[in-house]
Amino acid sequence: MSKIPRSFRLLEELENGEKGLGPESCSYGLTDADDNTMTNWNGTILGPPHSNHENRIYSLAIECGPNYPDEPPKVKFISKVNLPCVDQTTGEVIVEDFHTLRDWKRSYTMQTVLLDLRKEMATATNKKLPQPKEGSTF
Amino acid sequence: MASLPKRIIKETERLVTDPVPGITAEPHDDNLRYFKVTIEGPAGSPYENGLFHLELYLPDDYPMEAPKVRFLTKIYHPNIDRLGRICLDILKTNWSPALQIRTVLLSVQALLASPNPNDPLANDVAEDWIKNETGAKAKAKEWTSLYAKKE
Repeated sequence: MSKIPRSFRLLEELENGEKGLGPESCSYGLTDADDNTMTNWNGTILGPPHSNHENRIYSLAIECGPNYPDEPPKVKFISKVNLPCVDQTTGEVIVEDFHTLRDWKRSYTMQTVLLDLRKEMATATNKKLPQPKEGSTF
Repeated sequence: MASLPKRIIKETERLVTDPVPGITAEPHDDNLRYFKVTIEGPAGSPYENGLFHLELYLPDDYPMEAPKVRFLTKIYHPNIDRLGRICLDILKTNWSPALQIRTVLLSVQALLASPNPNDPLANDVAEDWIKNETGAKAKAKEWTSLYAKKE
């Protein structure tokens, strides 16, 4: 397999996001449609059912740096959420505490990150965690 | 690194030994399927005297699949959008394995010489082009001198 360069990889992700090929439980897009470096993205996660996150929509900021996808993106919750892998003052997802970023693979995408965060919300211990008031932000 | 198909090696060699006038294409040392490309704006077009940087990538299935090409230099053109994506039939539905890197780049150069506002990618630019061609061309020329300066 050859290595698809960063820009063409991000264009593919953008097209998949725009087409809505991804699952309905998460979405993402470019923050600034004019930014041809395609660095800053916004994402949303629909809280998983049968958890304290049910029916909530979480907003996130995703930064794909110059070495993406060789290196993972920086991911930060904008909506307040109580999860062990999320820094409770900044909203940043802590790399060491979130396996998808810690054990990053080049084949992972922004969609992988959003879906895995959603799974994280639904684990037996995390789904019962008390959550901040809906609509509050970091 | 996976070995490079003979076809790609031959095409790359020919791009260097027998370059297309006004076009350069050079593979990155660490990824021989990924090319740095420059195209000079065609004479008589609003892009004249500009030097446009592009990137080109040959996917795993090349030549069964078309190369991926994108403008890095900002350009005001009805068939090129704000992210540098190009609307060109041979890059999409009309791709044929008989085409090559050089034919693709020649087609991109030809697209600069004759924009096609009736098949737009950048809708706002195309509308401007149809309603006010003189003004649109002046803007394209202005962007060329702003963003596509030769070193």
